[in-house]
Amino acid sequence: MLTVKNLHASVGDKEILKGINFEVKPGEVHAIMGPNGSGKSTFASVLAGNDKFTVTEGSVEFMGQNLLEMSIEDRARMGLFLGFQYPVEIPGVTMANFMKMAVNEQRKFRGEEPLSAGEFLRLMREKSKVVELDSKLTSRAVNEGFSGGEKKKNEIFQMAMLNPALAVLDETDSGLDIDALRIVATGVTKLHTPENATIVITHYQRLLDYIVPDYVHVLYNGRIIYSGDKSLALKLEKEGYDWLINEHKE
Amino acid sequence: MGLLDYIQEQGVNTEGGTLPAMGEVVLAEGAKSEVWVNPTDSDCVLGEQMQRSLIVVHRNNDTVRLNFDLAQNSVLKVVQVILGGGFVECKVNQQADSRCEFTTIVLGDAIADYTVDLNGRNASNQLRGAFIAGGEERQRMGVRVNHMSADCQSDSLIKGIAGGKAFGEFNGMVYVAQDAQRTDARQTSRNIEIGREAHIVTKPQLEIYADDVKCSHGATVGQLDGDAILYMRQRGLSEAHAKRLQIDGFVRDIVLPLGSLGEVLAEEMTAKLELL
Repeated sequence: MLTVKNLHASVGDKEILKGINFEVKPGEVHAIMGPNGSGKSTFASVLAGNDKFTVTEGSVEFMGQNLLEMSIEDRARMGLFLGFQYPVEIPGVTMANFMKMAVNEQRKFRGEEPLSAGEFLRLMREKSKVVELDSKLTSRAVNEGFSGGEKKKNEIFQMAMLNPALAVLDETDSGLDIDALRIVATGVTKLHTPENATIVITHYQRLLDYIVPDYVHVLYNGRIIYSGDKSLALKLEKEGYDWLINEHKE
Repeated sequence: MGLLDYIQEQGVNTEGGTLPAMGEVVLAEGAKSEVWVNPTDSDCVLGEQMQRSLIVVHRNNDTVRLNFDLAQNSVLKVVQVILGGGFVECKVNQQADSRCEFTTIVLGDAIADYTVDLNGRNASNQLRGAFIAGGEERQRMGVRVNHMSADCQSDSLIKGIAGGKAFGEFNGMVYVAQDAQRTDARQTSRNIEIGREAHIVTKPQLEIYADDVKCSHGATVGQLDGDAILYMRQRGLSEAHAKRLQIDGFVRDIVLPLGSLGEVLAEEMTAKLELL
């Protein structure tokens, strides 16, 4: 589904990603961990197509196509979803209206008819249950006045609405209390199927108690320096990153 | 449906007529509102305890002075739409415990000037406005709120958009007299310039002579929010669509609290935004 080869990316003159190799197949869950400033969020942004970053080397193939040549919106329409670390407020645009446009854009891209008002409302009602999203929030402006927990739930609600092939969740657990974390993480798990895949970027092992990864990767200084199974996350939680980083230096 | 169709459909002559009441509409929510189209200089007087709701539409290029007098405990709601290119001057005079909610949308090449005098205790005034300037238009909006009495509240939020080679200007002033203790006043001006040739100048000012007050003012002039556009594109909206939606949402925010009438006004604003 996703094949990343020797990916290098910079912001200005500063190289942040220094040769990432990474592969995701349908049905898999990958966790990317690593200390602050290692390039985790940059990796997510580059996959989404944020033009703040320049790809200087390497390739990314998504669903058999060259991802790096696609616009941000075409990547999304192809089924790449980014759960934002900091969801953005859009005053004056209601959540329901925003989602209706997003869903119908993606349907148009696939050559499908837009949903009728009734179909859309049913879909919205069904999907808001995935993360126990208060139905009142859908009539409010996108993320405006939402609490930290509501914003993150809202990201997963949008993921449920758009049903992406690949979801990249950038620190979806940050700023959540225990209950919200459980709801968000359980929501992600509910959405998992053998056909889709998820990349979870996180600092903490606790999220992985709910979203059990097939692979755990450690990103450090712009490279994946170590990959393992879910037990790696537990080891990192206990022992930190130092042992890996020291090993890597030698 | 445009605003004029909306009021015409209810039998109000959209060319204008004779005051005091040129017509009346029933809003979807069941509330009734008087309609004034192209008024000449006029007074709107509310006696004690009176409630009045008014839609004022300016289509011509005239100079018009409107006076609103609110006696004690009266409540006035005004929705004003300026489509023409004239000079519209509004004076609001409020006595104790009166409440005024004023929404104004400026879509024409107009100058709109508002002076609010809070002359009795515990009077409150809310003013929400948006101006949209395109082409080579020059729009100016002035808002002066005079807190002359204690315990009054005022809240003004004005949003401006300029595109093309247009020029927009906001002049704000909150004046708090020496006796106007415990004043609670807010004035906010938010603006977006679209393109390199559009300009907006904003000047919010405070003049305070009382010592126990809560006053805030803020002003921004910015471009479109790149993060919000990225966010919308990541959900599959095209860049052009995302920009349009953001601009639309920016001013739609002003009329959203007005229910069905707000929807009609939002359509009116969208139509103008599409010409920018």
